[in-house]
Amino acid sequence: MAKKKQQTKFIGQVTKIRQTEPRTVIEWPRTLTHIHTYGMLSPFFQGLKEGKLKATFCPNKKCSEDRLWLPPRAHCPDCHTEMKWKTLRNPVIGKVYAFTEVVYAGTGIELSTPYWQIDVEIPGLATVPKSYLLYGKPYIEMKVKAGFRTDKPTNTVLDYYWVPME
Amino acid sequence: MITFKKGNLRIPKWNRKVFLVAGGTTGYKKFFPEYKLEELVMIAFKQMLEDNDLKMDPLEVKGLINYCAYGAFADHFQDQLLCEAKVHDYLGLEPLYNVGIKAGGATGGTTVLNAAMAIASGYADVALATGWERMDEVDTRTGNFYISTAACKDFETRLGRIYSSYYAPMANRFAWAFNVSEITRAKIAVKNRLYACSSPYAQQPGKHTVEEVLASPMSAYPLRFLECCAMSVGAACVLLCDEKTAYQLTDHPCEVFICGGTHTLRVADRRPMDIPLLPNESPGMYKELSKEGSRWPGFESFLAARFAAWLTYRMAGIYDPLEELDLVELHDAFTISDLQTYGDIGLRPYGREQEYIESGDAYYGGKCPSNLSGGLLGTMHAVGATGIFQSAECLWQLQQKYDKFHGDPKIWKKWGKTKPRDWQSLQIPKASKQALWVSHAGVGSHVTVGILRKSW
Repeated sequence: MAKKKQQTKFIGQVTKIRQTEPRTVIEWPRTLTHIHTYGMLSPFFQGLKEGKLKATFCPNKKCSEDRLWLPPRAHCPDCHTEMKWKTLRNPVIGKVYAFTEVVYAGTGIELSTPYWQIDVEIPGLATVPKSYLLYGKPYIEMKVKAGFRTDKPTNTVLDYYWVPME
Repeated sequence: MITFKKGNLRIPKWNRKVFLVAGGTTGYKKFFPEYKLEELVMIAFKQMLEDNDLKMDPLEVKGLINYCAYGAFADHFQDQLLCEAKVHDYLGLEPLYNVGIKAGGATGGTTVLNAAMAIASGYADVALATGWERMDEVDTRTGNFYISTAACKDFETRLGRIYSSYYAPMANRFAWAFNVSEITRAKIAVKNRLYACSSPYAQQPGKHTVEEVLASPMSAYPLRFLECCAMSVGAACVLLCDEKTAYQLTDHPCEVFICGGTHTLRVADRRPMDIPLLPNESPGMYKELSKEGSRWPGFESFLAARFAAWLTYRMAGIYDPLEELDLVELHDAFTISDLQTYGDIGLRPYGREQEYIESGDAYYGGKCPSNLSGGLLGTMHAVGATGIFQSAECLWQLQQKYDKFHGDPKIWKKWGKTKPRDWQSLQIPKASKQALWVSHAGVGSHVTVGILRKSW
């Protein structure tokens, strides 16, 4: 008796047709996980879990930029020197520079909507980093204090936030 | 602080003149199941070759093309890497070289810039600039997440996952700094959506009131849904030539000037700097501009737009944009980005941007009307196509072909619509000479400013 020839089998999911008029439209579902490195900025994210807000600075005395960078950078954009870390002294106090209330967010949002996204001026920084207000209602020049999600950290930039000083 | 060195401020100079002679577009829709992407590009390509009154047979014109620049914002949306290869093959342009351009929301303008550089350098005599976006393969919230990955994924994306939340802080800061009422922003939405009512290509035309805009659902405070552009599907293209070929193809070519500027993807990282002054601005005029503690460009302005205008005005010999330009097509992805840009490109000095709207200058019949195409708010933002569509609209306006491309009932029918009984022509006057368009990415990460000059 002849051995049955091995055939290639379809092992996928049958593609679902969503509509046929005016033209055929199919669905193509997928799930993905990206593997992403924090690279030389890893100390920043580790710091958040320890209740520390870490910025970087250029150690080159000849560089025209002597302020701190937050978001941190590993290399100075002006002279290309490798930056050094500085932990901001707690409590970190800043002022609201700009704000919005996020009402309609994109897929995957990890904060409960609506919430207040704020951009905060911090003394000594060249930058105005974006974060969120844990509670309260912001206004421009409002004083805020940094807080940290050290319990059950998310391992993301969401591990620090601000609360009103008043 | 950004300080310019001598070489940074060199004014770009073409090795030979560059002209734009023809444009084509599809209609735009949020969901476009009728056509595959390459089919849409073919429809725009055919309109460009067949309907622009070129003096040669369409296939003869096609035979003159020797370089192609293709713009598409996000492979995520098309779900097709090397989409340009597929489109290029579909248009029947092998084995001419083509290159894919990606510059966020400024992809369209950057694609035209790339094609212009090919002409100016002598690489090509005739170059095609085409762009597209297919944003209907995912739901709206997922589309917004995709777009938000064009913010810094480590420090910004997770804080909103929608681009309106990166522009909205600018709107609040701008209103605070310059005492601007949200009614001014709402008027921009009302104006551009109204002009879209005259366009057969428009996705979101509407006769809205200021009250309706302000009562529409909130996306990110203070930006309401009617102040934000929508997901679009569609394609646009333009044809660029050297001078000799331009006049062989048409008696009505427009000379092209276009430059670009950039700034940090993260607004957070924009360090204070001196304002680069436009030709009609003078040292010291911004001394009293800002409240204490403010910075330039801060959250109120875009260095990328200012730098692109700074270069293009000098390249084209423009001294006073409001006086010398007859039309502008701006990147009104959000009402606030439109408003901010008025100062960046010198339609008004910084701090007085709202006067451009409130004075009536920005309206049809005004001194320098803006976004008669319907803009991004009213007509389309199929991202890779946008800056190309805008340039085609500028061309048709200068060629006195607004009615031909917007008023023909057959074009309305082609896109499944009926020409409105109260259709209004938005053709700018015959004496008009120059039009400008802005293509803008990120929260001002890349901006091109292009100018078309009537050359007949």
